[in-house]
Amino acid sequence: MNRSIWVHWLERGATSETHAAYLRKLRIRQVMIWLVRISLLIGLLGGWEWATRTGWLDPFLFSSPSLIWNQAVQLAGSGELFYHIQTTTVETILGFLLGTASGISLATLIWASPFLSRVLDPYLVVLNSMPKVALGPLFIVAMGTGFGSVLAMGIAITIIITTLVIHSSFQSVDKSYLILARSFGATRSQIFRTIIFPACIPDMIAALKVNVGLAWVGVIVGEFLVSKAGLGYLIIYGFQVFNLNLVMLSLVVVALIATIMYQLISWLEHRLLRHRSVT
Amino acid sequence: MTSPYAIQVINLTHTYISKKEEIVALKSVSFDVSPSEFVALVGSSGCGKSTLLSLIAGIFPSTHGKILLYGQEVRGPTPLTGYMLQKDGLLEWRTVEQNLTLGLEIQRQATREKIAHARFLLGQMGLSHVLHHFPSQLSGGMRQRVALVRTLAVQPEILLLDEPFSALDIQNKLHLEELLIQVLREHKKTAVLVTHDLEEAIAMADRIIVLGGQPGEIRRTLEVPDEIRSLSPLKARGHALFRPLFEELWREVERP
Repeated sequence: MNRSIWVHWLERGATSETHAAYLRKLRIRQVMIWLVRISLLIGLLGGWEWATRTGWLDPFLFSSPSLIWNQAVQLAGSGELFYHIQTTTVETILGFLLGTASGISLATLIWASPFLSRVLDPYLVVLNSMPKVALGPLFIVAMGTGFGSVLAMGIAITIIITTLVIHSSFQSVDKSYLILARSFGATRSQIFRTIIFPACIPDMIAALKVNVGLAWVGVIVGEFLVSKAGLGYLIIYGFQVFNLNLVMLSLVVVALIATIMYQLISWLEHRLLRHRSVT
Repeated sequence: MTSPYAIQVINLTHTYISKKEEIVALKSVSFDVSPSEFVALVGSSGCGKSTLLSLIAGIFPSTHGKILLYGQEVRGPTPLTGYMLQKDGLLEWRTVEQNLTLGLEIQRQATREKIAHARFLLGQMGLSHVLHHFPSQLSGGMRQRVALVRTLAVQPEILLLDEPFSALDIQNKLHLEELLIQVLREHKKTAVLVTHDLEEAIAMADRIIVLGGQPGEIRRTLEVPDEIRSLSPLKARGHALFRPLFEELWREVERP
């Protein structure tokens, strides 16, 4: 009986015997993939826990899943964990949104004036090659040790690359669209609004995706340097007092939230671009 | 609109200048097109026929010479002309309806009447059912028909067609030729068609201008006989006079 429900589920939606066999094969493979993924996770965590309990690994240096869990429960209980998560999340979201938006605005400005584009070209190249986290001390001097500096870092790391990528995307819009708009008598600003900007939305979303990752780097490094709150601060603090449980917990939380943000943008991309064919 | 001609091209020369070189694309080209006449421009690749069309559309200014549309000198794109390219240029992020109104929007003419007219034209093309579809859902022939309606929606007097059917399969191409001729006759529009397809030129045009050489010059002008002109593009291809004309045209285009 059990087996037939199982087979039934595997063959759901089938239209013929052959189709059913094909679906069964496809779905069994999918189930296997998930089983192995989950076993791998359980195996790694279990192995880690086992190794630290038997003394094969030193839990003081390598922490352990149960210690991390206890640390999480303790920090969550005091509400502290959520405060740090919130600080970092807000900084990161603001960082990549402002960085992307400013990058797109800058690209628009440069597109509007080819002369300005030529003038700024070497500056952009230098700024792009520059490791932005090296600017940290300057931000601290200018904006103090707090939210402002961390946010500035998140923006600095995303803005230049966004400008370069989006500007080149503006320039690579299919020429036949431009001729078409011209033939209707479109002005340069009309061409930008009706053709170029919407044509580049897929690239803007791609930039958003890359910038999420970059903003995390900027914000975490920013928090390493200056702040009194956030997950980057927890990592550095945990390291300084040699509480590796805290460091590991923060890393796990960073990984989780970064993944969620990335998935949200993927979802947004899917929603916005569902009508566009792959060209 | 006092001029007896829809289009007058007067001693037109165009030179493309780049850092490396200077290429003369057209040299001293002159011809006239009467209202509601259909003229085809043919010639080997690189003879400047597309350049000539873009100049008439006012996409960029010519180096020497003048183009007059109903007596008015062309100084940029005007609402008098509608321009259609081989690539349909439908915007993928807009529905068919939003694509149709692109030209109206740009010219700030998107009134309820004109939008309704665009919808009516789409119906004439047999495409009412795709109004809210996206271009990616349409076949190549349907896309080109939508592009044609988009061009017609701004109600231009003169249609400038740059190989509009050359990317289509033969069946779609013949259908579209028929449709286009019907629409042009019904609305008494003037048309200039650039094509490398000599059969298409004979089947559709009243007059064929052969360009050739580098830089391009007018080699010859051929009148299509009334017997062929009065037939639809599909039937014209079967007329007894069609082959001899084709061969004459072929020799003219092939001449070095």
